[in-house]
Amino acid sequence: MSAAVAPNAPSPSSAPLITVDKVNKRFGPHHVLKDVSTHFNAGEVAVIIGASGSGKSTLLRMLNRLETFDDGRIVVDGTLVSDDARSLEKLRTEVGMVFQQFNLFPHLTVLDNVALAPRRVRGLSRPDAEARALELLTRVGLQDHVHKHPFQLSGGQQQRVAIARSLAMQPKVLLFDEPTSALDPEMVKEVLDVMKQLAKSGMTMLVVTHEMGFAREVADRVLFLDQGRVAADAPPEQFFAAQDNERIRAFLGQILH
Amino acid sequence: MVSAAVVLMLILWLITIPLAWAPDPIGNNAQLFADGTRVTVQLTLVSGVIGVLLGVLAALGKVSKVAPLRWVASFYIWVMRGTPLLVQVLFVYFALPEISPWLRFNEFTAACVALALNVGAYNAEAIRAGLLAVPKGQLEAARSLGLSRWHTFIDITFPQAIKIALPPLVNNVVALLKDSSLAFTIGVVELTNAGSQVKSTSFQAVPVFIATAIIYLTLTTVMTQISDAVERRYDIEGKLG
Repeated sequence: MSAAVAPNAPSPSSAPLITVDKVNKRFGPHHVLKDVSTHFNAGEVAVIIGASGSGKSTLLRMLNRLETFDDGRIVVDGTLVSDDARSLEKLRTEVGMVFQQFNLFPHLTVLDNVALAPRRVRGLSRPDAEARALELLTRVGLQDHVHKHPFQLSGGQQQRVAIARSLAMQPKVLLFDEPTSALDPEMVKEVLDVMKQLAKSGMTMLVVTHEMGFAREVADRVLFLDQGRVAADAPPEQFFAAQDNERIRAFLGQILH
Repeated sequence: MVSAAVVLMLILWLITIPLAWAPDPIGNNAQLFADGTRVTVQLTLVSGVIGVLLGVLAALGKVSKVAPLRWVASFYIWVMRGTPLLVQVLFVYFALPEISPWLRFNEFTAACVALALNVGAYNAEAIRAGLLAVPKGQLEAARSLGLSRWHTFIDITFPQAIKIALPPLVNNVVALLKDSSLAFTIGVVELTNAGSQVKSTSFQAVPVFIATAIIYLTLTTVMTQISDAVERRYDIEGKLG
């Protein structure tokens, strides 16, 4: 990996990269997130788990304003998350996102999928953007598929393209919203391997997932969301050790069997 | 696609030759038929292109977050689809100049204005359906990459929407070709008018209108061929087989 595509080194300042401060979110009568406060440091890999409907995807999607919040405050790399057009644009160039359904652009080739945003947002020339795209696609093992369209790839390959597409913007943090949930079992590993490699390179990652093996092996922190609150926040060895929280035990029991 | 367009050009260019071979009253009026055909195609192409642009604008208006834009677009579509095209043609040609002298058009222009406004309203509905059919995840992916609203639209939404809207759009343009015969009523010498003139002088309605119909049929067939070719061009997923 060249310096050009290296994710940021951990920030020398001690300020957290992301601060979430007393955030509330309601969908109609449903109070999804209740006074959630936490922060994430540069270089950290945090895995967010919780039952369906616990608000984990909503929390993730708030960080790049795909979802609004009712009150509270989120600051990403010094930028207050709001609807202000200019700060929103800056925010989204710093925060990459990988979706459960990949959301590749079906009308563009793999190479164009990855090269588009650097050209349009960072103003790279087409050859420069394509060179960067090719480098990233090589890194995720897809150098032989650059001229295909997404529909010609397997789910695992599509998700790896999606990761490369996010990386092409050189974000300060990558959000993963259940990146392996839509994949056939035999393809989960290839995506997790790419994510592990990314984590090793020092990328700041926030991952909503049900892959407990990944959490155990790669995460610095595991956050457990329950009924709109952060019910647990601990290093994985501590989290997966004997749990005195009944709800976490029940959740892990369901996940692991 | 290119070949189909070339065929259309050849038809327009060389149509006089087969018409001249035809027995009278077609053969001796071949030039009139050929000129009428060209005018019909010109009406269709000019109002078709403007109609697609109007359709895009009206579709964007209809899905806009700005309420007044939605109202304007809805009103336009409502009026154009709810009134007869013949009335619209007559209104543009006879009524608009009385409202403002700036709106005085010659026959051909007036016909183009009315046809474009009319087909634009139908196009708007086709394009709107295309815009709404683009999955929400596409917009989220574009936004999360930091693409501006303009680039999200022009690079992501619009190409996918237009591909979905293409078959109904072509349908509208084929209908437009046939509807252009209404320009007859304000004196444009297009194909139907040409046929009618030949009938008036020859008193032979059957061969005249059979010839007229065959020319229309040829034109609509070529247009359908062009659209099939375009559809195949954008069918990167091989859905058409």
